[in-house]
Amino acid sequence: MLEVRNLVFAYPDQESPWNFDFTVEPGQCIAVHGASGSGKSTLMNLLAGFLEPQSGDILWQDKSLRHHAPWQRPMTSVFQEHNLFEHLSVDANIGLGIHPGLKLTPRNQQAIDEGLQSVGLDGFGKRLPGDLSGGQRQRVALLRAILRQQPVLLLDEPLTGLDSDARDLLRQLLLDQKARGTLIVLASHDDEDRRILADNIYKL
Amino acid sequence: MNNLAKRQQHSLRSHLTPGRPAPFSRPGWQLWPGFAIAGALVLLSLAGLGALVWEASLPDISQLWQSRYLRTVVSFTIWQAFLSVLLSLLVAIPIARILARQPAFSGRAFLLRLMELSLVLPSIVAVSGLVSVYGRQGWFTGFASDWFGASWNLYGINGIVLAHVFFNAPLAARILLQAIEGAPPSQLRVAAQLGLGRWWYWRAVEWPAIKPVLPGVAALVFTLCFTSFAIVMTLGGGPAATTIEVAIYQSLRFEFDSGQAALLAMVQLIICGFLWWLAARRGLTASLLPDRRVASHRTKAGSSLRARFADGTILGLFVLFLVMPLLAILIRGLPGMGSAFFPLGSFAVNPALLDATMRSLAIALPAGLMSVCAALLILACGTTSKRPAITRLTDVAAYLPLMIPPLVLGTGLFLLFRPSLGSSNEGLVLVTLINAMMALPFVLQMLKGPLGSLDSASRQQADQLGILGWYRWRWLHWPRMRKPLALAMAYGTGLSLGDFGVIALFGTPGQPTLPVLLYQQLGSYRMDAAAATGLWLVLLLLVLFSVFNRLGSPLHKTGLATKSPRSVPEPEHA
Amino acid sequence: MLTRAFALFILALAFAPAHAQKATTLTVYTHPSFAAEWGPGPAVKEAFEQTCNCQINYVVLDSGGDILQRLRLEGKSTQADVVLGLDTATMETTRQTGLLANHETDLSALTLPINWQDPVFVPYDWGYFAFVYDTEQLPNPPKSLEALIAAPDDLKIIIQDPRTSTPGLGLLLWMRHVYGDQAAEKWQQLNGKILTTTKSWSDGYFSLFMNGEAPMILSYSTSPAYHMAVDKTDRYQAAQFEEGHYLQVEVAALVESSDQKELGREFLDFMLSADFQRHIPLKNVMYPATDLGDELPSVFDKLIQPEEALYFDPKTVSDSRRQWMNEWLDAMTR
Repeated sequence: MLEVRNLVFAYPDQESPWNFDFTVEPGQCIAVHGASGSGKSTLMNLLAGFLEPQSGDILWQDKSLRHHAPWQRPMTSVFQEHNLFEHLSVDANIGLGIHPGLKLTPRNQQAIDEGLQSVGLDGFGKRLPGDLSGGQRQRVALLRAILRQQPVLLLDEPLTGLDSDARDLLRQLLLDQKARGTLIVLASHDDEDRRILADNIYKL
Repeated sequence: MNNLAKRQQHSLRSHLTPGRPAPFSRPGWQLWPGFAIAGALVLLSLAGLGALVWEASLPDISQLWQSRYLRTVVSFTIWQAFLSVLLSLLVAIPIARILARQPAFSGRAFLLRLMELSLVLPSIVAVSGLVSVYGRQGWFTGFASDWFGASWNLYGINGIVLAHVFFNAPLAARILLQAIEGAPPSQLRVAAQLGLGRWWYWRAVEWPAIKPVLPGVAALVFTLCFTSFAIVMTLGGGPAATTIEVAIYQSLRFEFDSGQAALLAMVQLIICGFLWWLAARRGLTASLLPDRRVASHRTKAGSSLRARFADGTILGLFVLFLVMPLLAILIRGLPGMGSAFFPLGSFAVNPALLDATMRSLAIALPAGLMSVCAALLILACGTTSKRPAITRLTDVAAYLPLMIPPLVLGTGLFLLFRPSLGSSNEGLVLVTLINAMMALPFVLQMLKGPLGSLDSASRQQADQLGILGWYRWRWLHWPRMRKPLALAMAYGTGLSLGDFGVIALFGTPGQPTLPVLLYQQLGSYRMDAAAATGLWLVLLLLVLFSVFNRLGSPLHKTGLATKSPRSVPEPEHA
Repeated sequence: MLTRAFALFILALAFAPAHAQKATTLTVYTHPSFAAEWGPGPAVKEAFEQTCNCQINYVVLDSGGDILQRLRLEGKSTQADVVLGLDTATMETTRQTGLLANHETDLSALTLPINWQDPVFVPYDWGYFAFVYDTEQLPNPPKSLEALIAAPDDLKIIIQDPRTSTPGLGLLLWMRHVYGDQAAEKWQQLNGKILTTTKSWSDGYFSLFMNGEAPMILSYSTSPAYHMAVDKTDRYQAAQFEEGHYLQVEVAALVESSDQKELGREFLDFMLSADFQRHIPLKNVMYPATDLGDELPSVFDKLIQPEEALYFDPKTVSDSRRQWMNEWLDAMTR
C-alpha cells in the first residue's frame, strides 16, 4: 500500500504550498488531474524522490521512503517525453532498466526481444531513439518501465500527443500490469485515460 | 494475456534490495579525489609563490604605482591582451559559425586538426613561420606591396596581436564550434521550420549556444596573451613591448630578486584572477540551462549560392592565414630533414632524434593522461559538491596554473624540494607533473561543457534506474565524452610535447627532449637541423592530434552505442 | 592518478640520497650548447675520463644565468663540483654567493686579450660581441658603432634584450664603454634602426636573421667561423668597428662544498690543456683560451681582429648594471 501523508511542498516563489494526501492499494490505479500548474508533475517528482518535500511522508508497505534516494524507491516513472537516453540504442535503453550496468543475461536479452515484439517494435532494438516516432518512443519507455518490475508505476501524461493506435496499445499494456498487481499513479488531463485505467480519481 | 505478461509470472521483484551497488557509486568517490587534487594544486601553487616570498621577503609594494616602468609594463600587458582577445574572438566567431553551417566539405577534418595544432606549436617555430609570411621579407608583405602598394610593419603591436590571433583564434573557434554543434536540436528544428535568415538564426540558435562558453573562452585567451613572453619580445619591436612575465623573468634570472618576482607574479594573479572570477560568475548561471544533446544533428546547409560563396571565401582566407606559416615551417625544415634523420647518409636512423622523440613522448603522454584524469575528478567534484566553497575551490584550482608564471612556480617548488631533489630522474617526474598541471586549464575547458551536458531529464532517469558511479560514467558520459576526451588528451599531450620552459628549469642530464634538442641546435648555429627538428615536432603533433581524433570516434558500431548517420528530427504527432 | 604519481614522487624524493653519486663522479653544471651532442662537452668528457679514472656527469641548465640561479637555490647542498658556462656578466654575482673555492690553476698559458688574474674563475674561451651581417643584403656595412648609429633608419638591425640575454647585456656594456654618460642619447639615435629586440640570441638568429628580416644582428665575432667551416659559406660576416669590440669571457669555477675538490682542480687544469681547448673553436664557436698554434682552424684567420678589447671589470658591471639598464629602458621607451 502506498500512503501519501500530508506531503507539503512549495517552490521558493510560491505563495500557498501544495498539500497531497491519499492512499493507493496494489493493483489499483489512481488518476491525478487538475489544471496545468496544479502540481501534478510536482507530485510525481516528489514520489520519485526527485524533489524533497518540506514536510509530510510517503510510506510504502508502512515503511517511510522519505530518506530514500530515487534508486532506492520501488518506483519507475514515465513522462510525456524525454524518457530515453538519446545516444543509446533502444536495446541499451531498455537493458539499463533491467541492470544499471547493462550486465544482461541471455534471459534478459530474450525478455527485451520478446517485449519489443509484443509492443510492435520487432527489430527496432539497434535503432536510436531519435530515429523513432513519438509513439514508438513511448512504447519503448513503457516497456522499460514494465521490464524493470517495480511495484509502482508513476505515469505523467504518458499517452499525451500519441495517435490513437499507439494509445490503445499502451492502455492495454497498462491494464495488464494492473491485473498483475502493479500500483499505478497516473497524471492525465484526458478523460478517457482516466475512465479506462483509473479506479480512483484525485483532484488537485 | 500477451507474451510480455507471461514472462512476468514470477512475483514482483522484492524492492529496496538493490543488489550489488554500482562500482564507485558512493558520493564520496565523486567528491574526495577531485577535492584532494584541487586542494593539492592550490596548495602547491601558493606554496611555490610563498617559498619565493619567504626566501626574499616582499619588496616595497608602493613601487608598483611609483615606478613608471612597472606602470607601463602592467598597462601594456593588459592593452595587448585586450586587443588580442578582441581580434581572436572576431575571427573565431564567424569561423565557428561557418564550420557549423558547413558540416561536410572535403578537408574539414584536416582543417580542424590544423586549428588544434596552432596552440601547441613551440613559439620559436611558429614565430619563424609567421615571420616568413608577414615579416619584412615575407610572402604576404611582398604580395601586399606589389598588388596594393600597402606597407605593413610586423614589428610592434601589430605583430604581437597577429601572432596571438594565430595562436588563439583557432583554439577559440574550436571551442565555440563545439558549443554551436551542441545546440539543442529542438531549437535547430524550430529554426529550420521557420526558415530563419542568417541574422535570426544567429539570434535564435548560435548566440544562445555560444553565450555560455564565451566568457570562459575570452578569459582563457586573455590569460594566454597576458602571460605571453617570447612572442611579445620577438615581435614587439623593443622594450616598450614588455609584459609582466618578461619583468618576472628579468627579476628572477638576471637580478636574482625573488621578492620582486613574487610581487609581479601576484599582480598577474590578481588581474587574471579577477577576470576569471568575472567569467565564472557570468558563465556559471548560463551553463545551468538544460540541453539535450544528440550524437549528431542536422545543420542548415548553406542556403543560397551567394551565401555559400561568402562562407567559402571567409573560410579560404582563414585557411590561408593558418596554413601559410605552417607551409613556411615545412619549406624551411625540409632541407635539413634528410640529414636530421640519416646523419651519416646511410639508412641508420639518427638515434639522437629518435631518443629525443621517445623521451618527449615519455613525458608528454603521462602528463596528458594525468591532466585528463585530474580534470575529470576535479569536474566531478565541482558538480557533485553542494557546498559553494568546494565548487569555488575546484574553479580556482582549474585556472590557477595559467596565472602563476611557470618560472615562479618552478623556482618556488624547487626551493621547497631543494634539500632532497637528487638526481635528474626525480626532476623528470616533476617536469611531467608540472606539465600536467599547466595543461589542466585547457583540458578542463574542453571537458567542462560535455561533462555537464547531461540534462535534468536524463539525470533523473539515471537516478531512478540506479545508473550510478562507474555505470553512469560508462553508459551516459563516456559515449558523449569520447570525442572531447580524445581532444583533451591531445591538447594535454601536445602542450607538454612542445614545452620548453618547464624542462629547461629543472635541467636535463644531457638527454634532451625534442624542444630542448631544438634549442641546443639553435645555440650551436645548427639552423638547418633546428628547422628540421621544428618541422619534425610539428609533424609529430599533427600525427598525435590525428591519432587521438581517430581514437575519439568509434570506427565500427559497438552494438549498443551506435552513431546515427542520419538523425532525423522526430515527427510531431498531433 | 595525479595523487598517486605525486605520492610516488614524494617517495622518490625521500629515497633520493640512497642513490647519490658514486665517489668517482665529477658533477659539472653547464649549459646546452656546451653539453650538446655536437658541442665540446662529449669530446671533453671522453678525453678527461681517460686521464682521471673518473666519470663526468653534466647537468644541463638553460643558460649561464640558470647555472647561477640553481647554485644560489641549492646553496651548500648543491651536487655540483664544478660550474662551467658562467661569463663576465654573471661572474661577480656568483662570486658574492660565497659558494665557490679558489682554483689554484696556473693561468700563465692564457692568451686572452686582457690580463686575467682571478683567483676563483678560470676562463676556457672568449669572443667579441659583434654585428654579423648578410653580405648579400648589405655589401657595405658600417665601419664603426658611430657610423651605425648615424646610419639612415632604413638600415635595420636585430638586437637582444639586455634584461634577458647575454649578448644583449654585452651591447649595453659596449655602448656604455664607448659613450659613457652619453650612452642613453646614443641609444635613442640607434632606436630607429632596431627592428626588434628579442628575448634570446636564438630567437633573433633563427626566426629573424636567417629568414632575411634584417641584414644585421648582434652576435659574436666568431659566428662567421661556423658558417665558413661547417656551412661552407662566406655569406655571413662580422662587421669590424673602429671603436673596438666588447669582450666576453666564459669561465668555470670550483664549488666550495664539493667533496671532490682535488678532482675538480684537476679538471680546471685540464681545461687549459690542448685536449680540452682544441674542441672549443668549432664546437663552441669561440676563441680558445690558450694558444692552439697550428690546431686553430684556418677560418679563424679570416675573422675580424678588433684593435681594442673593451672590457669592464666584473665588479663595475655588477655594481652599475641595474642603473645602466634603467637608463637604457628609459631611453628606449621615451
